[in-house]
Amino acid sequence: MRFIFVTVIKEMKRRFNDPGGLISAIMIPLAVGFLMATVMGGGGGQPSIKAQLLVTDLDDSFVSQGIISALGQDRITDMIMLQKVDHEAGQQRINEGDGSGHLIIPKGFGKAWLEREEVALQLTVNPSQSISPRLIREMLESLLDLGDYLHKVFGEELKIIARSLDGNELTGISTSVFSANIADKISGIADLVFPPAMTVEDITPQPETASVSFALLMFPGILVMAAFFAANGQSTNFWTEKEKGTLGRWVASPNAFFSFWIAQWFTAMLLTAVVAFPILLAGFLYLDIRFEKFFTALAWLALTGPILFSVLSLIQVLAPSKKAGGMISTLIMFPLLMVGGSFFPTETMPKFIATIAQYTPNGRLVEPMKGYFTGEYGASGMFIHVWGIMAVALVLVLLAGWISTRKALA
Amino acid sequence: MIEVRDLQKSYGDLIAVNRVSFSARPGTVFGLLGPNGAGKSTTISCISGLLKPTAGTIRVGGFDLAGDAVKAKSSLGIVPQELAIYEDLSARDNLAYWGAAYGLKGDGLKQRVDHVLNRIGLMDRAGDLPKQYSGGMKRRLNFGCGLVHEPAILLLDEPTVGVDPQSRERLFDLVREEKTKGTCVLYTTHYMEEAEKLCDELAIIDHGKIIAGGTLDELRAEFGGNDIIRLTGSFEASRVEPVIAGLNAGVLSLTPESLMITISEGARVLPAVLQAISATGADIRDTRLSEPNLESLFLKLTGKDLRA
Repeated sequence: MRFIFVTVIKEMKRRFNDPGGLISAIMIPLAVGFLMATVMGGGGGQPSIKAQLLVTDLDDSFVSQGIISALGQDRITDMIMLQKVDHEAGQQRINEGDGSGHLIIPKGFGKAWLEREEVALQLTVNPSQSISPRLIREMLESLLDLGDYLHKVFGEELKIIARSLDGNELTGISTSVFSANIADKISGIADLVFPPAMTVEDITPQPETASVSFALLMFPGILVMAAFFAANGQSTNFWTEKEKGTLGRWVASPNAFFSFWIAQWFTAMLLTAVVAFPILLAGFLYLDIRFEKFFTALAWLALTGPILFSVLSLIQVLAPSKKAGGMISTLIMFPLLMVGGSFFPTETMPKFIATIAQYTPNGRLVEPMKGYFTGEYGASGMFIHVWGIMAVALVLVLLAGWISTRKALA
Repeated sequence: MIEVRDLQKSYGDLIAVNRVSFSARPGTVFGLLGPNGAGKSTTISCISGLLKPTAGTIRVGGFDLAGDAVKAKSSLGIVPQELAIYEDLSARDNLAYWGAAYGLKGDGLKQRVDHVLNRIGLMDRAGDLPKQYSGGMKRRLNFGCGLVHEPAILLLDEPTVGVDPQSRERLFDLVREEKTKGTCVLYTTHYMEEAEKLCDELAIIDHGKIIAGGTLDELRAEFGGNDIIRLTGSFEASRVEPVIAGLNAGVLSLTPESLMITISEGARVLPAVLQAISATGADIRDTRLSEPNLESLFLKLTGKDLRA
């Protein structure tokens, strides 16, 4: 056991004396994460989707102003940012891809709606966006449904309002009757429209997904990418030591050869922690994640290193040479990183690829960590996912050890 | 003490080591001499546990290598033919690591590392990485890694290949020191001079078989006290061979450019030999007279030059 510890220390010294691999394992994931988050426009802690709706009000009636003020309600402004523009400016901005949609309320819209004549709102959407225009369309359709209900309930009153717009002013008596009719109708439908004096208090803890940014969705994948690089470097050590002759000294020493692999396993754990530390720190600061999660996340990542190391080591020892092992592991590693959520979050993937991601070793490691960062899991919920994978990893590394014993002696 | 009995190592139909037997005693240097590919490294790899023998037994320090590997290996120190050091660890860290591999720790390990650093002449560069060393310095560190744990048995597999003369002499001194301390040293080489300088006992190996063995004097006695005459120039075999037979000499090798013969009282009969061979039309450009050595012995036993 002591010699395993001594070997881990020796391995760490070797990595620090030749830090090129460590620096790459830190810098490449950081660069990929930074580029992807920048390209996809996901800043730390900012809502990821907010539609920008440009509105041109050519009607300028109380109906058109009602629409604009409805779109400016608090709940809606969480999703849609409204901006009034004139007709030409709106068209030009949409043509340049600036904005999610341009809504034109045509002249005479209010009167036509009051008199229930055929009328249309004109909406031009940005073809380069998919989610935001859909959001705007659904919001407008809801508004139009509301307008239809208003006509069904207050049809007569709306006609009176329309006539008043043509200059037929209401007399004192007709105003009283008008008001009384509206009051009667409201009290008539009150039981249907207004809720009973009973409320349900939702005490379910709110997940932190409300403001999940693209960068936060990417972050666990970036961390696992770093763990992958660290594990890959360590997995080639079997060939390096064989070529350098030091593996021969190992075999000739009185130590059991399996202790070599156990030492490599623990080295992968420490190396992953070393590589993950600066990335984790940068991510926590940038994404404003609660710092109390830092060391739990680091511990989780340290455990992912040996898991990935086991998979890659098995590939290495099955390969006929160091060169072939390097090629095969690279050929396997990059597609796994792509599919497993290190370059794109699974949330942005087609459903079938996201399903495949769940069955990749790195994908299985990314999702629990994502859940931990977004509040879906607590620490124990995250670690529950690792023990089974660790057991499989231990079997894999012992298998690699058994195969490599024969190769070391060849 | 190393005892090898009927050691055999085969790779399919190829027999790399064929029923090799020898014993090496404490406080002696036992040499395995043979050309490249003769089976020296395979033999030493079997003794160090790097290769599993096809047949035969190996006892190291009194323990059977197959049955009691841990105890047998504990007494072994290995200096492989190829460098076996971590180039990304300092000399001190290399020695400390391999010392720890054999159970050394604490102050004992530190003192032992300092001692070996002094012995291999790397104390002033102990903190540097070997990638900054010369080839000779790396060889010395390779040597140091094999003896840092004070092994009772030291296996040296052609330790001077590619080493500059100064480092070679230092390595020879180290071998002699180990011998003086009572270490059993097994030394493989294809340099006759090294074997003659260092080895108390020798086994000459070729094509996986030991073809001669004993002390240097015992091996020289194979020549029955004859001397060796080497001639270079141009020779016609069909004319030279009958003349040599008439001189009661033996031909060790004869090529169009060289001739090596064994003959008694070489210094006295040399003028007559030169005259007789010149009479065949041979053009003699260089003449050397010497006592029999390993090279000539190897030539006599195998009919080929050890350096070939």
